[in-house]
Amino acid sequence: MTTKYVGQRVTRNEDPRLLTGQALFVDDVDLPGMLHAAFLRSDYAHARFKSIDATAARNRPGVVAVYTTEDMGAFWKPGPLLVPAPHSIKDVIFNQRTQIPMARAGDKVRHVGEPMAVVIAESRYIAEDALVDAVVDLEKALEPGAPLIHDELGTNLASYVRQEKGNYVQARAQADVVIQRRIVVDRGVAAALENRGYVVQWNAKEQELTMWATTQAPIALRNLLSATLGISENQMRVIAPFVGGGFGPKIMACQPEEVLLGWATMKLNRPIKYIEDRRDNFLATTMERSQIHDVEAVLTRDGRILGLKDVFIHDTGAYNPYALTVPLNTQTHTMGPYEIPNFHTEFKVVFTNRMIVTPVRGAGRPQGVFVMERVMDLAAKELGLDPVEIRRKNMIPADAFPHEQGIIGQDFIPLVYDSGNYPATLEKAKAMIGYDTFVKEEQPRLRAEGKHVGIGVACFTEGTAVGPYEGARVTVESSGKVSLVTGVGTQGQGHFTSFAQIVADQLGVDVRDVRVVTGDTAQFHWGTGTFASRGITVAGNAVNAAAASVRTKILKHASKALGAPEEELEIVNGQVRVADIPEKSISLSELAARANPMRGSVEPGTEPGLESTQYFGPKYGATAAGTVAMIVEVDPETMMVEIKRYVIAHDCGTVINPLIVDGQVHGGVSMGIGQSFYEKLIYDENGQLLNASFADYLLPRSTDMPHVEIGHLCTPSTLNPMGSKGVGEAGAIPTPACFVQAVENALADYKLEILETPLSPNRLFEFLHGT
Amino acid sequence: MKLEGEYLFNGPREEVWKLVRDPDVLATALPGTQSLNKISDTEFEGVMHLKIGPMAGDFSGRLVVSDEVPPESCTLTVDGKGAVGFGKGVGHVQLIAQADGKTLAKYTGDLTVGGKLASTGQRMIDTVSKSMVRQGLEALDKALQARVAAQAEDRPVEYKPPTETEFAGAVAKDVAGGVLSSPEARMALYVIPGITVLVILVLILSRCR
Repeated sequence: MTTKYVGQRVTRNEDPRLLTGQALFVDDVDLPGMLHAAFLRSDYAHARFKSIDATAARNRPGVVAVYTTEDMGAFWKPGPLLVPAPHSIKDVIFNQRTQIPMARAGDKVRHVGEPMAVVIAESRYIAEDALVDAVVDLEKALEPGAPLIHDELGTNLASYVRQEKGNYVQARAQADVVIQRRIVVDRGVAAALENRGYVVQWNAKEQELTMWATTQAPIALRNLLSATLGISENQMRVIAPFVGGGFGPKIMACQPEEVLLGWATMKLNRPIKYIEDRRDNFLATTMERSQIHDVEAVLTRDGRILGLKDVFIHDTGAYNPYALTVPLNTQTHTMGPYEIPNFHTEFKVVFTNRMIVTPVRGAGRPQGVFVMERVMDLAAKELGLDPVEIRRKNMIPADAFPHEQGIIGQDFIPLVYDSGNYPATLEKAKAMIGYDTFVKEEQPRLRAEGKHVGIGVACFTEGTAVGPYEGARVTVESSGKVSLVTGVGTQGQGHFTSFAQIVADQLGVDVRDVRVVTGDTAQFHWGTGTFASRGITVAGNAVNAAAASVRTKILKHASKALGAPEEELEIVNGQVRVADIPEKSISLSELAARANPMRGSVEPGTEPGLESTQYFGPKYGATAAGTVAMIVEVDPETMMVEIKRYVIAHDCGTVINPLIVDGQVHGGVSMGIGQSFYEKLIYDENGQLLNASFADYLLPRSTDMPHVEIGHLCTPSTLNPMGSKGVGEAGAIPTPACFVQAVENALADYKLEILETPLSPNRLFEFLHGT
Repeated sequence: MKLEGEYLFNGPREEVWKLVRDPDVLATALPGTQSLNKISDTEFEGVMHLKIGPMAGDFSGRLVVSDEVPPESCTLTVDGKGAVGFGKGVGHVQLIAQADGKTLAKYTGDLTVGGKLASTGQRMIDTVSKSMVRQGLEALDKALQARVAAQAEDRPVEYKPPTETEFAGAVAKDVAGGVLSSPEARMALYVIPGITVLVILVLILSRCR
């Protein structure tokens, strides 16, 4: 196989449609007779829901229906658990409380934004107006004072997990230095450009439910929702068209809105649309990151880490439908690229009266990396070592792979790093940013000029490409063009191009001649979803396997047609030809027609067509890694931080399309910068979210983005034939840790110690001048 | 949110006293008030229509007066809600007679807000509410002076309360005029976090009935 496309910066097949407004998004779906939904959401974080009187709302002209839990009858039930609990970890505690479709009168509301009723009307305006008509009697009987979120549990403890590697207590006894700190990471939102959106249509004559959804997991959504609604899986079709960003929350399935819309369209026999607005998104779309860590590190005087103890609390919000993925990811990324011989990690998950926490780009990893990198910086200061030197000293060497980490990973089996060269990423980032020159020459010169400039260097690992599996079907059509179908959804990752590159190389066709379909359960109905930086590796290897299998079929047919042995054939520009006699050839189009004859008979035991469906599931997740370095300048008057340079040296194994990888890194970095300095959700003590709009919740703008300098390294994964690893979360994971380090370094005169993220100019000002 | 302040009325305590005992006067000092009804000696119910920028809606509040020490002080508890959210507050008001015949009103309050009030306008709530309290108190003071003047000259009271639009305009001008120096101040024109504070104002002013 030639590699004409794989590894090249192929421009994206989908961009002409996206850039000219020709791509279908959920809100573009407009069906005759379509109704519109609006959700009545709780203003209270924790209150007794006494009653609801929807009479006035129902009587409003244009309102078709108002549904409360009373109308749902037996359909009202807590949603499914989307990820099981990790029972391979000894003595794990997991108290399951998944989210409910709507709060029940007589029961409680548990977070601001929890649905209490849904209005279906002729227009969204009427539906929104009718929300005001509903008379809700809520008794805010539950004042703060540690009330129980789920009374019947008798505790707010959702979960407890403890894992140990080696013997931390012994390590501590031998240590020269002990570092103890409390480190806090707070909440932010995913802030996808496109909010959640759905169009649902029950066709009573066909007895079929179609749902256009902004989901990252169309197949899981179809499977879980059809079960919830009591219909067969083949009666339901989920279509995830183009989606304007996923970032994690859209992996959720059987969310209240999905259940209620599916149920309502079947009841009313009318199509219904719901496009979430930004306010609903802030209040009712899952979010991430709040954790409080008490960390203790023990080291020798020369800077070798002997052990690490990290005990943390993870806030899961009012429910825990996504089980322990986020805190487990934190746990399994804390050691990062370092050799930590003794590790004690322990976490408690608590229910709170805040929105539910599920993965957001990074998914627990940034917290673990932030803790570890802060420990490195604190230790370096304590021991008078260079921050780069202490990291180098503790890194897992390049010849130590596969590397067993000694704890259970996020996929519930022992965590193993498949391959990597961590010191190389550190050296590359250091060289790219000119670390030595900056520290020895530029920084002293700039400081002498009165400038507050600083440098940071942070290292990370990224567990990617977890199983269980994905599948793909490749077909050579009689036109000679190729169709590729896979089950994962697409939210901007460039699947239409990177998957096409793989197929084009296998089948010797033009990359523009591979038509890719993703995220339609009617086209492919096995798979898991787009998450955990797994698309290119898990689905990509399935694509590769399917294309390779079709190649085999092509060569077999061509060998017969051309009367030449298979091993002498090559496929070039849609023609199979004998390598030594190029004029002796047959087109893929002709072969496809022969493989699917109109008359006559095919050989017994053969399948029609040039088609193959293949699946790929890795043994375990591939671990990518990298190092970021940053130079910042802080204005001590305004406390604004300008990122002067941003460098990332990353290793995600085989790169299929460097252009797309660069884009993924850029996006991740922007999210990381947001979580360093802009994006922080502020809740008051009563569980009210105080900045639920983009006027108050700041995102980094294009002017806040530095030029991102990217260095690619390639240590192929040993877990899949293509050798690829994921990269989608790389930029988001280490950025806060690096940012904080650089800011501390820039303000070295002030001897700051920053143990939290996200920051803001105000918060930095408080650090310097007191609150 | 903590609310604290004082205001000097240009009139004797007895007149301030009488004024705030009159629900009709209070209603004119708080333009948009559609009703302010006495349920019992210590309990009132009011409905207020508020419109600032694109946000508008009815806001109904219930006020309970307690710990009354006439004519010096009392505690007020309010619970109000509307389409834009809810507010719940406890306030304490003191009227202190001054040597020059004026009256100093001191108030402290603790306010909890929820819904859109909390999530959309939190950053402006402080500034806007303070402005609204000030505008309301000034309107009340003008009513007071009109009353005092009328009594002195033994003629009917001549007082034209501000309209809802004038009131909203004054608050907007206050906010935009640099009460807040940040660029977000302009946003205050479009949100109305102070609604609940107006309700509190009802409480403050209707003290000691």
